[in-house]
Parts: sequence; structure tokens; C-alpha cells
Amino acid sequence: MTSIIGREIKLEDGAPKVQGQLKFGSDLVLHGQLYARLVTSPHAHALVTAIDTTGATKLEGVHSVITAVDLPDIAPASRSMLLLAKDRVRFVGHPVALVLAESEAIAQDAADQVLVNYEPQPHVTGLEATLALNAAPVWPEGLPGASAEAAAHGAVGGGDSGGAEASPNVAGDSTFERGNLEQGFAEADHIIECTYRTAGVHQSYIEPHATLVEIGPTGDEATVWTATQGTFFVRDAVAAVLSMEASSVRVVGTPVGGGFGAKFCLYEPLLALAAKVSGRPVSMTMNRMEEMITATPAPATRVKVKLGAKRTGEMTALDAELVMDCGCFPGSMSILGPMLMGSNYQCPNQRVQGVEVLTNSPSTGAYRAPAAPQCAFAIESAIDEMARALDLDPLEFRAANASKPGDKMAMGNPWPVMGLVEVLDAMRNHPMWRDREQARAQGRGIGIAIGGWPGGIEPAAAACSLQGDGVLQIQISSVDLTGTRTTFQQIAAETFGIEPDQIRIISGDTQSGPFAGSTGGSKITYTVGPAIMEAVAEVKQQVLELASGVLEADAEDLEIKDGAVQVKGAPQSAIPLAKLARKTMSYGSTHKPLYGQGRNAQPGQAPGFCGQLAEVSVDQDTGEVTVHKLLLIQDVGKAINPLLVRGQMQGGAMQGLGWALYEELSTNEDGQTVTATLSDYALPHIAHLPTEFVMETVEVPAPTGPFGAKGVGEPPVIATAAAVANAVADAVGARVRSLPLSPPRVLAAGREN
Amino acid sequence: MKPCSFEYVKAESLEHALAVLVEHGDEAKILAGGQSLVPAMNFRLAQPAVLVDLNGVGALSGIERVDGMVQVGAMTRQRSAERSSVLSAHVPLVTETMPFIAHAQIRNRGTFGGSIAHADPSAELPAISVALSATLQVTSSRGSRSIAASDFYVDLLTTALEADEILVRVDLPIAVPGSGFAFAEVSRRHGDYALVGVAASVQCDASGVCQQARVSLLSVGPGPVLSTSCAAALIGERPTTRTIADAAAATASDDIDPEGDIHASARFRRHLARVLVERTLTRAFARAAVSAGAAEQA
Ligand SMILES: Cc1cc2nc3c(=O)[nH]c(=O)nc-3n(C[C@H](O)[C@H](O)[C@H](O)COP(=O)(O)OP(=O)(O)OC[C@H]3O[C@@H](n4cnc5c(N)ncnc54)[C@H](O)[C@@H]3O)c2cc1C
Repeated sequence: MTSIIGREIKLEDGAPKVQGQLKFGSDLVLHGQLYARLVTSPHAHALVTAIDTTGATKLEGVHSVITAVDLPDIAPASRSMLLLAKDRVRFVGHPVALVLAESEAIAQDAADQVLVNYEPQPHVTGLEATLALNAAPVWPEGLPGASAEAAAHGAVGGGDSGGAEASPNVAGDSTFERGNLEQGFAEADHIIECTYRTAGVHQSYIEPHATLVEIGPTGDEATVWTATQGTFFVRDAVAAVLSMEASSVRVVGTPVGGGFGAKFCLYEPLLALAAKVSGRPVSMTMNRMEEMITATPAPATRVKVKLGAKRTGEMTALDAELVMDCGCFPGSMSILGPMLMGSNYQCPNQRVQGVEVLTNSPSTGAYRAPAAPQCAFAIESAIDEMARALDLDPLEFRAANASKPGDKMAMGNPWPVMGLVEVLDAMRNHPMWRDREQARAQGRGIGIAIGGWPGGIEPAAAACSLQGDGVLQIQISSVDLTGTRTTFQQIAAETFGIEPDQIRIISGDTQSGPFAGSTGGSKITYTVGPAIMEAVAEVKQQVLELASGVLEADAEDLEIKDGAVQVKGAPQSAIPLAKLARKTMSYGSTHKPLYGQGRNAQPGQAPGFCGQLAEVSVDQDTGEVTVHKLLLIQDVGKAINPLLVRGQMQGGAMQGLGWALYEELSTNEDGQTVTATLSDYALPHIAHLPTEFVMETVEVPAPTGPFGAKGVGEPPVIATAAAVANAVADAVGARVRSLPLSPPRVLAAGREN
Repeated sequence: MKPCSFEYVKAESLEHALAVLVEHGDEAKILAGGQSLVPAMNFRLAQPAVLVDLNGVGALSGIERVDGMVQVGAMTRQRSAERSSVLSAHVPLVTETMPFIAHAQIRNRGTFGGSIAHADPSAELPAISVALSATLQVTSSRGSRSIAASDFYVDLLTTALEADEILVRVDLPIAVPGSGFAFAEVSRRHGDYALVGVAASVQCDASGVCQQARVSLLSVGPGPVLSTSCAAALIGERPTTRTIADAAAATASDDIDPEGDIHASARFRRHLARVLVERTLTRAFARAAVSAGAAEQA
């Protein structure tokens, strides 16, 4: 048998997905269920003085209209606990009431007839406005508790908080310093000091949030079917609002039609309460406009960078401040920025700071490598500007300062094994970089950038059993977003010595499966994979021991081949696995079941780096940018399934092109999201695929990763925008310091030149 | 998203549709390809009480050359117009423009007449109907009338159509020797409504003197805007790089009054208008010269 690791196996659920056969959350219907529709605030900040639901309730088919008075008084510890506004709305889209009706259309009709009296209050939108000391406070009564959602994403922990006089809307501030900044800048031959901005963007998963909740007949159990990246996370939130034990809540993850960080927990607690109050199952599928105005997009940012370097190419000082407009709810993300801005390069003197500010806008959340595309855009642009100013080769300038394993990260802890240097080496040798002068001769611009993601960890367990038909069944509870079930088939098959089609992966709910962390932070293969390997190895040992008795041979002299156990090199001795398994599953048998367990807690993270090269042309009269070529070189540790790895890289880079060129959430002065449809909010299309879209991998094994694998989902989105911006600067000699690089911005930058 | 409830009538004939319009007045709306109307209903921006579906009225589709015209039935799918050999031979501006309208999936349903009747200021077909001096044939139970395209677009999403009238056909004059055309637009992404678009239709005599210069712009006003500066500067002249550039600059500064929105400021739209008028005129005159030369040789 050739190795299964490295084999290109198609996604197990790929065909049913594209053929429309997979059942998503909104396809589920329970007898007697009600359909819910939100009534949301049209004001950015207002007091709710009265809610009149009589007209809505009178409509035929309306069950009830739920408002805050029907719900327990719960402190909003996280965004999903915001439930319905009690007396104050804080953003356009803030839920005020929930209509329950016999059909979705009736619920919508009724939602339009719920009359709410608002008394508008001063509001603040936009990052600069909210930083002002006299900004209208988003939470006049005091900030709510920090969210667990950021921790669930699990990139980093720790950090400190600044204390200087600040706007009432500063919700978090983390700064890390080392060396002596002043001295660092004094030593520099050149200093770049620039401000970069990135627009708020939306994860724009195809499938909207869809949830169905049923309360058990005795009222002390609940089942939640929901499209979530983290079933255990939802379980705890729902149990808290229902005042139930977490173990009484069963959360069944439905297939996720795109999450990208936005599907942890949003309206599940509210819908669980609605099911409890109404006594009927309640289902809600959000519509696209609701997704745009009342979900959790990624924050708009401003990054100030001051960078000093010597003519010889050594970085001497870095002072970088990231400010994130996190909308109306704190997300504890301020720690991410400093880590991402101050770790990839070794700069002896630096101060890196992350500030989280609040505005009367939808709260923000995680989006594939949260904060990283924004930080990379700023830092990688500044590095490029420096290389240009000092006439240094941009790749060599990066390589000269690149971090290596053991070097210090921003917080002072050492980098674990990581492959930034290897990625840069591969870029240096790639023809698309080597032949760059030819592209330039045709008027094109070439830009490079790198992006790194530290990777997440969280404990996970798995169970494995050999079935009577010879199939090896694996039970886990992690949510599959990226094809991990297919990868796990390969990992289990390789470990056991059978073909992947003999492996069945069962994804359990929160009651039937072992624990796994939420799918976020690029950690599922890395953390669940080893648990599966351990469980499979245990069963393999049991199988060999069982066969050893039957074949009257030492277990060490046996091998598993072609679905059977045989004495090494003696196929005539083979007993099929199915036959062995059945020996443990029959009346009167004295053999124990073939059942193993695996547990894993990774000792540390496995960072992944991805370098990108973009080749662009710019229409200098209209400002239109065309990306002709995009190259990604990523350290993936070990590509267990190169097809799926490339898929992740392609998807990430396409989203990166959205960051780079198209996507921008806009709100007007009233706090209204004016890009509330996918016609006003521009996502990249398949037509924007670069003509040459090249994915390459390098493999620097993660010491404790399964077969050396590390997370691959997040790294490929990070550097795209920066690479494109650097390529545009190369093409037209003008630097655009705001994302997206829309035609007006490109044109304006060209004019300034 | 769900629309408000409405009554649906599948018209069996044009007469049937007209009768329903008489009965319900402006409570009723025609359903053509539904690519603009249905999204508006789902967003509840449009709440018609009655929908009159023309999709079963076969007599309203088809493309035919009749005398000096190509007649396009209102219900002809945009995709059929895009692929029509009659149009590519005789009204090539249509063929060049069609791919800029939305995406293939939408053009499979969207109709030629629906786009013109909808009169979106960012739509391509209204602009080229003006550039080409199309004639719009409309009918009601009171009788039929013809409306020149330049008189048809009254205001934002408003046309000269009365509530009981249906657009049945669009008549496009066929290209004569010495004529040239071009279309160009800038949008955020291909398939989006244009930030600015320009349709140019010119004609030169055998000596290269410009006889006609109809340049129509989209997304820069409440409807398609016909440039008077281009006609004034170019007709009677032999176009040069310089006169074309001047005509483009005059169009951008004097003929249009674009508004700014989240996608482009008014200033940026003016800039694009100048660039695109210059580009389309340059291409149109080059084609006119080729066409005149070919006519000379024949
Ligand atoms: C995602 C998307 C992108 C698009 N992009 C573009 C674009 O880039 N450029 C562009 O031009 N269009 C675009 N469109 C619109 C598309 O071209 C529509 O098809 C067109 O505008 C309307 O044609 P329809 O046949 O679909 O008309 P409908 O939507 O059925 O009707 C539109 C309106 O016209 C009226 N109407 C239709 N036919 C008649 C008639 N014969 N007589 C009287 N009244 C009539 C209807 O009552 C209605 O008010 C886009 C649409 C979508 C969904």
C-alpha cells in the first residue's frame, strides 16, 4: 500500500454539496415549529420608550411577539447574550422584538407591523470620531463584561491594559514593548511614518445563520440544531440563558455553508428562550440583509506605523498602533494586533499596541485570521516602502530581519518551530519572482508580502471502534469546515493500515461525542488528528492481539494488509478484519470489543506562514487594478491531502482579493449600513480569479502535529491585500494606504505622485 | 426574503394583459424577466397588488430585420439579443454592449424591453437606445404609439409610458456605411451596474467629415444623458485626437450632473466620463473610417 498521507482524495461531502443534496440547518423542520423573524432598530442609538405589538399579534398565523419583558434579565456578557433590547438600542440592526408565526412570510408581515417608539440619543460612528475624548459613549452605563468569543478563537492569551486618559469608547488596549525606541530611531538611516486604513469587511458565508431549537417535554432539556463552528460553545451559552446544566443541552452542528469565524454563537440563546417562552420549537434562518446589518463582521482599522532601518537592511525600531472599530460590543481582540505586528520580524526596539474602540455599529467578530490581514497590510506595506526608500531588494530586506524558531515574539515568548525563512527561500527561487523584470518590462507591477498565523490549540478526544463489516469507525465532535473529515479518514487509514474508504468519521453532537474545541484558529487537524491517531493505534494493537491468539503467532510478527491480518509475508494466513471484529460482537463471545480512545492536548502552537506574490496592471486613467498572477507559497508542515490544502489556499487568497480590491462595509452618518445587500457590498467573483493562480507548499513539520501537519486555513488570507498593494505601488509608483484599492483611491494616489 | 402577498395573472395574449392593466390601473405591474422587479418585491421596495406575467405571450419576442430597422420584441431575452446574428450584422453596438449587462444567468431571463421600460439610470440598454435613436413602440387598449428614445426617459425610473401601456417593440436603425460605434464602462466588478458608461455612435462621410456624433452616458444623471457638447464640437469637422479630447472634456464638465454615492464621488464620475467619452469616440471614429473605406471599395 502506498502512503495515504499526501494523497489527493476528493472532499467526502463535496459532490452532495454542489449537487444540492446536503441538508443544511434551514432544511430541517420539526412538527409544530414556529418561524421567527427579528424586529431591529433603525436607530444607531436610542431609548426604547414603548413597543406596540397589537397590530402584529392580530395577524392570522402569528403566534406571539416576544420582547425583553418576556425574557429573563441577563447581563450581556457577550454579543450573543444581548438578546432583545430592554430600554436602549445601540446600533442599527439591534434586535428589539422577535415575531413567532406559522410561516416565515407571516412572520415577516408581522415584523413590519411591530411599532416601536424610539427616543434618539447621541451616537458615534467611525473610528476617528469615537477616539475623541468627548465622543458620545456607546455604553453610557458602563462597558459590559469581556467576551468569551475571542478566547474561543484561541490565538493568544495574556496582555496588559493601558491607563492613559481616553475616550469612553476605548474597550481594550494592549501594548508590548522592548528595547529603546528612541535609540532605535536614532540609529536608523531612514524612517517611514505612515497611517494605513482598512475597511470593515463581512465574512459573507453563502449559508445564512440557521437555527432550530426544541425544548424537551419536561422543560429541563433542550436540543439545538445550528450551523455553528463550535457546538460546545453554543451549548454553554444556551444552557446559561435557560438556567440549565450544560449537559442537559444537546447541540447538533448542522453542515456549515461557510463560517469564516462568524458562526460561533449569535442568536441561539435568544431562539432557545423563544422556544421556552412559546412552548413550541422555534426556527430562524436569517436573510442576507440581516446578515449584513446584525451579524458580526470584521472591524475597520487604522494602523499607524513608524519604522526605522539602516541602509544595510537591519530594522532598528518599530512603533505600531492598531486601532480596531469593534462596533457596539467589546470583543477582547486588542491583544491580537501587537502579536501579529511585532513578531514576524526581529526588531530590537519596538512598541506594538492594539486598541479596541466601540461605536454605534454592529458588533464585530472573527474573520479568518482575525486582525491579521489588516496588520499585514500595514506592516508589509511599510516594509515595502522602506525597501524602496533604501533601494533594498524587498525580499532580501524581509529575509534579513525574518524571525526564526526560538526568536522572540512580540510578547517576549519564543517562536516555536516555524517556516518563515523556508517560505522566503522558496519565493526567492520561484520563477515568478526571478523573472520579475520581464513582467515589469510589460508595464506590470510585482509585489510580495508575507503573512503568519500562530495557530490555535484546545484539547480534543476521539474514539475508534472496528465494526463487524471491517469498517473502522471514528467518533469525534469537531465541526468540519474545511474537509477535516476527509483528512481524518486519511490519518486513520494510514495509522491503521487500511484504505481511507474503510474509515467512517462520525461527528457527534455535544452529548454523544467526546469534547473538541470550536473550529477556529486553524487547529482542528492539528489538535483532533493526534487524538484520532492514538485511538486508532489502540484499536490496532487490540486487533493484532486478537489475531495473535487466532493465528497462534506473536503480535509483532503480524501485519495488516488488504483489509486483513496476516503473518508477515504469508497471505495464506490472512483473516479479514471483519471476521476478527465479529468475534468480538457475537453472543457467547469471550473477546472484548475492539474499541480505543485517544486524547490530545497539544503542548504548543504550530504557526503557519504564507508568502504571496501578485502581478498586476493598473489602468492609470480609470484606476482599475487587474491581478493577473497570484502566487502563494505556504508552509503547511505536511500536506496530508494536497488537494484540500490547495483548496484552502485558493479560498483564502480569493477572500484576500476581496480585502484588497472590493470589499468595504459602509455606514452613513446615521449609522445605517448602506452596503446591506450583496449588490452594494462587492465580493470577488469567480471572474476575478487571476489568470495564473499558483499554489505551492513547503513542509517544515510541526513536531507534535499529525504526520507533521499544521493549520492551513488562516495563513493564506493574510498577505494577499498587502501583496496586491505592493504590486500596485510597483506598477504606478503610487502608494495606496487604504483598503480596498478601489479605482478612486488608486487614481487619487497616482495624482499625488 | 419574502415579498408582500400579491395577485398573479398569467397573460394569455397582449390584449389580455392590456385588459388587466385597464382593470387595475397603477396597482398592477408587468412581469417581464423579473430580474429587477422581483428583487425589489423581495426587499418590499415594490409592493404591486397584481402582477401581469408577459412570459407566455410569444408574439412579444423575436428579432427581425424590416426595411432599415431591426425590430426587437420587448420580451426578447437579453441573451438572445447578445447572440443575434441579425443584430451583430446590422446594429453591432448592441452586440458589443450586451456582455456588460449583469451576468449570463441574469441575461438568460432579463428582457430587452424590461431593461428599457425599467429605465434604471445605470442600465446600458436605455443609453444605447438613445445613442442609436431607437423608436419605442407602445400599445394600450386605447391604441398604439411610437416614442423616440430621447423622449422616453423622463426621470429616475420614470418613462413616458402610461400606467395602461406596454412596451411591445424596440426599433433600431441599421448601421449605414461610414458609421462607427463603441461602448465602454467602468464598474466596481464586471457585471455590476456601471459607475459610468458611455455609448458612442458616429457617422462620417467619404471625406472623413463627421455627420453625426451621438454620445450617450449612463450613471451620470436620472436617466441616459445625450452629450450636446460632442455633437456641437464634432459635427462638420474631421475629428482629431485634440477635438475628441476637447469634446470629452466639455461633455464631462457641461453635459452631465452626476451624483456621488458610496461607490463613486461625483468628481470621480466626471473624471471617468471624460476618459470613457474620449476612448469610445476614438474607437467609434476609427471604425467609421474603416466602414467608410469598405463602402468606397465596394
Ligand atoms: C445582480 C443583477 C445585476 C444586474 N446588473 C445589470 C447591469 O449591469 N446593467 C443592466 O442594465 N441591468 C442589470 N440588471 C437588471 C437586468 O438587466 C434586468 O433584467 C432589467 O433591468 C429588467 O428586465 P426584466 O426583463 O428582468 O424586467 P422586470 O424585472 O420583469 O421588470 C422591470 C420593470 O419594468 C417593467 N416592465 C418590464 N417589461 C415591460 C414592458 N414590456 N412594458 C412595460 N413595462 C415593463 C416592469 O413592470 C417593472 O417595473 C441586473 C440585475 C441583477 C439581478
